[in-house]
Amino acid sequence: MYLYHLTLQQATGIVSAINGNFSGGKIQEIVVARGKILSLLRPDDLGKLQTLHSVEIFGCIRSLAQFRLTGAQKDYIVVGSDSGRIVILEYNKEKNIFDKVHQETFGKSGCRRIVPGQYLAIDPKGRAVMIGACEKQKLVYVLNRDTAARLTISSPLEAHKSHTIVYSICGVDCGFDNPIFAAIELDYSEADQDSTGQAAGEAQKHLTFYELDLGLNHVSRKWSEQVDNGANMLVTVPGGGDGPSGVLVCAENFVIYKNQGHPDVRAVIPRRADLPEERGVLIVSAATHKQKSMFFFLLQTEYGDIFKVTLEHGNDGVTELKIKYFDTIPVTASMCVLKTGFLFAASEFGNHALYQFQAIGDEPDVESSSSTLMETEEGFQPVFFQPRGLKNLVRIDQAESLMPIMDMKIANLFEEETPQIFTLCGRGPRSSLRILRPGLAISEMAVSQLPGVPSAVWTVKKNVNDAFDAYIVVSFANATLVLSIGETVEEVSDSGFLDTTPSLAVSLIGDDSLMQVHPNGIRHIREDGRINEWRTPGKRTIVKVGSNGLQVVIALSGGELIYFEVDMTGQLMEVEKHEMSGDVACLDIAPVPEGRQRSRFLAVGSYDNTIRILSLDPDDCMQILSVQSVSSPPESLLFLEVKASVGGEDGADHPASLFLNTGLQNGVLFRTVVDMVTGQLSDSRSRFLGLRAPKLFSVKVRGRPAMLCLSSRPWLGYIHQGHFLLTPLSYETLEFAASFSSDQCAEGVVAVAGDALRVFTIERLGETFNETAIPLRYTPRKFVLQPKRKLLVIIESDQGSFMAEEREAVRKEFFEAAGMGENGNGNVDQMENGGDDEDKEDPLCDEQYGYPKAESSKWVSCIRVLDPRTATTTCLLELQDNEAAFSVCTVNFHDKEYGTLLAVGTAKGLQFWPKRSLVSGFIHIYRFLEDGRSLELLHKTQVEGVPLALSQFQGRLLAGIGPVLRLYDLGKKRLLRKCENKLFPNTIVSIQTYRDRIYVGDIQESFHFCKYRRDENQLYIFADDVVPRWLTASYHIDFDTMAGADKFGNVYFVRLSQDVSDEIEEDPTGGKIKWEQGRLNGAPNKVEEIVQFHIGDVVTCLQKSSLIPGGGECVLYGTVMGSLGALLPFVSRDDVDFFSHLEMHMRQEHPPLCGRDHMAYRSAYFPVKDVIDGDLCEQFPTLPLDLQRKIADELDRTPGEILKKLEEVRNKII
Amino acid sequence: MLLNPDEEAVLKPKQKRRVELERGRKMSVFGGDSWGREAQYRKRRIDEVVIEGVDDSSYKKLSSGKYACLVCPHNPIFDTPLMLSMHCKGSRHRAAESKMKEKELMRLDEINKRIALSNTPTSSVNSSATKQNAHLASKPLIQMAQKAASEILSDKTPKHNLRNENHDMVLRQNDIKYVTPDFCQSQSFPANETSNELLQKQLDFQERRERELKFTSAGWKRDGHGKWYKDENVEFDSDEEDPNSSV
Repeated sequence: MYLYHLTLQQATGIVSAINGNFSGGKIQEIVVARGKILSLLRPDDLGKLQTLHSVEIFGCIRSLAQFRLTGAQKDYIVVGSDSGRIVILEYNKEKNIFDKVHQETFGKSGCRRIVPGQYLAIDPKGRAVMIGACEKQKLVYVLNRDTAARLTISSPLEAHKSHTIVYSICGVDCGFDNPIFAAIELDYSEADQDSTGQAAGEAQKHLTFYELDLGLNHVSRKWSEQVDNGANMLVTVPGGGDGPSGVLVCAENFVIYKNQGHPDVRAVIPRRADLPEERGVLIVSAATHKQKSMFFFLLQTEYGDIFKVTLEHGNDGVTELKIKYFDTIPVTASMCVLKTGFLFAASEFGNHALYQFQAIGDEPDVESSSSTLMETEEGFQPVFFQPRGLKNLVRIDQAESLMPIMDMKIANLFEEETPQIFTLCGRGPRSSLRILRPGLAISEMAVSQLPGVPSAVWTVKKNVNDAFDAYIVVSFANATLVLSIGETVEEVSDSGFLDTTPSLAVSLIGDDSLMQVHPNGIRHIREDGRINEWRTPGKRTIVKVGSNGLQVVIALSGGELIYFEVDMTGQLMEVEKHEMSGDVACLDIAPVPEGRQRSRFLAVGSYDNTIRILSLDPDDCMQILSVQSVSSPPESLLFLEVKASVGGEDGADHPASLFLNTGLQNGVLFRTVVDMVTGQLSDSRSRFLGLRAPKLFSVKVRGRPAMLCLSSRPWLGYIHQGHFLLTPLSYETLEFAASFSSDQCAEGVVAVAGDALRVFTIERLGETFNETAIPLRYTPRKFVLQPKRKLLVIIESDQGSFMAEEREAVRKEFFEAAGMGENGNGNVDQMENGGDDEDKEDPLCDEQYGYPKAESSKWVSCIRVLDPRTATTTCLLELQDNEAAFSVCTVNFHDKEYGTLLAVGTAKGLQFWPKRSLVSGFIHIYRFLEDGRSLELLHKTQVEGVPLALSQFQGRLLAGIGPVLRLYDLGKKRLLRKCENKLFPNTIVSIQTYRDRIYVGDIQESFHFCKYRRDENQLYIFADDVVPRWLTASYHIDFDTMAGADKFGNVYFVRLSQDVSDEIEEDPTGGKIKWEQGRLNGAPNKVEEIVQFHIGDVVTCLQKSSLIPGGGECVLYGTVMGSLGALLPFVSRDDVDFFSHLEMHMRQEHPPLCGRDHMAYRSAYFPVKDVIDGDLCEQFPTLPLDLQRKIADELDRTPGEILKKLEEVRNKII
Repeated sequence: MLLNPDEEAVLKPKQKRRVELERGRKMSVFGGDSWGREAQYRKRRIDEVVIEGVDDSSYKKLSSGKYACLVCPHNPIFDTPLMLSMHCKGSRHRAAESKMKEKELMRLDEINKRIALSNTPTSSVNSSATKQNAHLASKPLIQMAQKAASEILSDKTPKHNLRNENHDMVLRQNDIKYVTPDFCQSQSFPANETSNELLQKQLDFQERRERELKFTSAGWKRDGHGKWYKDENVEFDSDEEDPNSSV
């Protein structure tokens, strides 16, 4: 089996973000690392975050830093990755790519303890960079420029110290003196030697300064001093002329200013009043804002509170350190303060946000200061505050993030054309159920009812040079309605259009005149109001029209074509007539090429299943240039011109080309390339769009021509980063559409459907899915679908939080204290609904502030029945007594009266530290009431461990409880243990069943294949895996095959070989399975690994499904970083050969950006087997043209054919 | 002689040109009658000879002049044909080669088998039997059992085969499916008394067997006298049916 791997949705979580001017000039940009993806974001003028460029680097980005050479205008990006190399990138504005400026190898690849890459620190003056490992190694590279002002990098200077663990490093700003780097280190050499553990208890963290002597070209340890053992982060304090230099050491509960030869200045971090005493406060992210006259720091705690830290300093150093409460936003992985007054918050989990500064916290608020720090016998006196609504920040945009995807299922619950992907995302109060649908999101601007059912709509400008459209013309069965676009859209009658007849086409013709084609003639409205009317000869009527700005072709009933051109005076002149053999089904004229008088090509579709290209040249007017036969009568034709591109905005190189698109009556969209010289048709592709014949309309997307196809749902065909993408829009069926441009919306679409006129814009181009989010209460763990009732049952649980009622009581108390009692009451109802809606006026919504923290032994959990259609929770059961739900399944017990029941595995008082322990586990059995909308507890059965896996099996319930697999039957008061097998190595985390086979996944030891024998009432393990995989997801593929994913980011398939499987199934006496000897400390038979691939991200869920109607099934996965991908099995040997060769050439010619070898990356833990990386293949169009041609030559194809292949395989998946 | 900088600047291009001319001339002489060309030719010849020994389909010449081995799963790239030929002699390559051949053979086998299967018409029962036969060639016991079963089934005389009924294989869901259509068919046969009786008997037996299995799977066991007793490791409901009373 060969598989094609393709990422459908790139990771949405962010691990690190930096800001700077990467494209030069004054534009503030943000570079974010999303695990294996590096993207460049820019907030546009409206404050919306735009992704400019995004590239997969086939490696793991661990750290990012930016620097600028003195006097330069542009920032460079330093990337610390798992490649064992330091890479310096520069953003190339012209080509819209990251250029690799330097790549220096220093160690082995992989995320290792002592190979640098984990930490990066930059000298604030951009003269040196330090790259550090978690342990021992630190390397310093000197950055400089050569005579041609190009960046140079020196050979590395070592700043190693063995037996030390590094917690954080940063550059120290000391002006133009020798660069200094600071590090928080812990020396464990003594602790290592001392077996009593005394030394380990006394181990002490140190703050160490490393000085790079630029003269001697040498790094030395300059200064080292003890710091708090809770120290975890360093922040550079501006120095030189701007500040006092030194560093801020962020430690548990304290922020300390430190510098060489300067006494410590220490201030306590204010605590939330409701925080339990034993919990400390840690800083998790920091941002610095520096202006000419002042600077401050924003530090965020692990609870999401942001503090503004300022330093009072003079000639004698820092005198006071102040920490003032600023605002509270969700916990971030990185914060970036942009010079334009924005704060970009890359959330740890959940959606990222862009905030605008309203103030910089100058107003009085809770503040702690080093000068008022009080020390008592019990320690330092804490400062308390109460979080409040946003005062200094206001959120202006957010970027959706699925991170982490906890579970995913694909089903067509809504009976749409394509199935929906249900994902459980997020953590704690920010968790949600997100329903993803393939397609682009649209935003509806206006919907207005019309007096009748319209048949068509057009928009026209008054002059070619106008930016915006002037009229919307709507045609009905026997009338035409003209609406003028202004401040409002209103009907007009003075436009010159004939309103007593239906229209066939309305367009701008020539420079400034309008044309209306109706069944009986052509009405030409000149700019000065003169009207010319051309009437059809005899009783014939016009049936079809094709036009561009300068040419018009009409088809009369009976098949006569008449061709008009706009002459020098702006008159419409009849040029040529031509008799076709039969009626004309559709017409289109190619757009006029730039700098030409006319276009050469007319496409005519006939009912005899052909498309003809006719010439419009005066020399050979109406000559047939080429003929293409199609499978069904054509319905609509559209020429789409693709302008030549060399990188740039488009991100890819491609030559100019002309495509002819045809919508066929059988619902297929047929695309062919038109030779721009001869008019020959070649390279045809077809795709089924829907049950209705696609109607094609030309629209503009990002200023470039694109195509709107209206079939049973609307589709948009456009070019994105060199790929032609044909993506469905998440909108209802439309009848007719036209592009729409006004000052409110630059690139919109106006369409008719039913009796309504709709105006909408298309959003988030380039994305595959659009999502609908439903908030949840706690971290979702698992869910089950009830396809018949169209309901979901979700289990949610969180550690270290209070129950809803307790929270509510505390909240009420708080509001009462604050004198806002009535508002607090309003919240009770909201609680009942289960989720907190951020739109409601809620001064303290949990989504923003997090839940109040409780001891870590306290669990909260709930079981929720959700109707995804209406997004309402029909039943929510909060578990009591410190119980938390971990597994769920539906089960039908044989010959019992209840029908489908719900089984939920829970644990009571689960603790992970200092030792994993629990009071007990339970399996709850619930009965569905009210047609599945509510639940009633039947009984609960105590078990000895946490039931992490449940499954129905032959009318009974299988449960994995620790290392025990047990079969339960339903009893009156409890579950009855019927059979068990205790021979599993660690903990069972997944159970899948098929017929009498049971596929058990162990947390550390991959899959075990079992069989249940009824006649002996025994469970036998007959096969297992030889590789100890730490399983995170599993899926049953077929009788002998399982797909799994491990926690190191690999996806693999294992299969039981055919003869072993036969032997097991056809064991006549049943003795073999019973008495066979185990092998390799396990089962007697071993499964074979047939597929192996390193995804580079922890896969949490796998499912087999087909995302397109009638498409092949593929295995879809969701990951912790919030990405979705697919593995599609190849069906032909030729495709495998083609793609493996393409992959081979891509590996050779286009090595990954951050220096990791592609093959090594995909084989990071186990050698890649039988999987072709579509993500690499899809980078083909981003290569320079000559390289594309070279690779294509090697494969005996043209670049166009390769693109077509790539498009084809993508279309098979989505 | 010391030149002032200006003069040097003037002179430089001329000197350069002369050097280039000289080099050009030398090159032409050098190529004319030296051993170099021959050596190069010889080398190319060796390359050809070396590469002749390697199977055409096992490597690919890249545009860069390098060679990629197509046999080894990771497609290593070699600079020269000599390196390629050395690689082809290596154990890893050989192992990969033999593996590939094996795969190819298996594929052929599979194709042959499928062709063979697609040619046999007959009923579904028969084809499934032959299908299983095809890859059970090495398992005489199973083959025998299958043969016997298929004989019985194709005879359409529902004879009661005790040996066959004794193990649960026949009672697996799929196999029940596979047996029942045959019974249905047999009912449409000229209804003679004896076969009906036998059929009834068999159905009775099946029913009993099914009930017995239900008890075993519920945790009951039989002692030496055929009495049922409860397995001590299994839990039972308070009103659980007692097989001893029901049989």
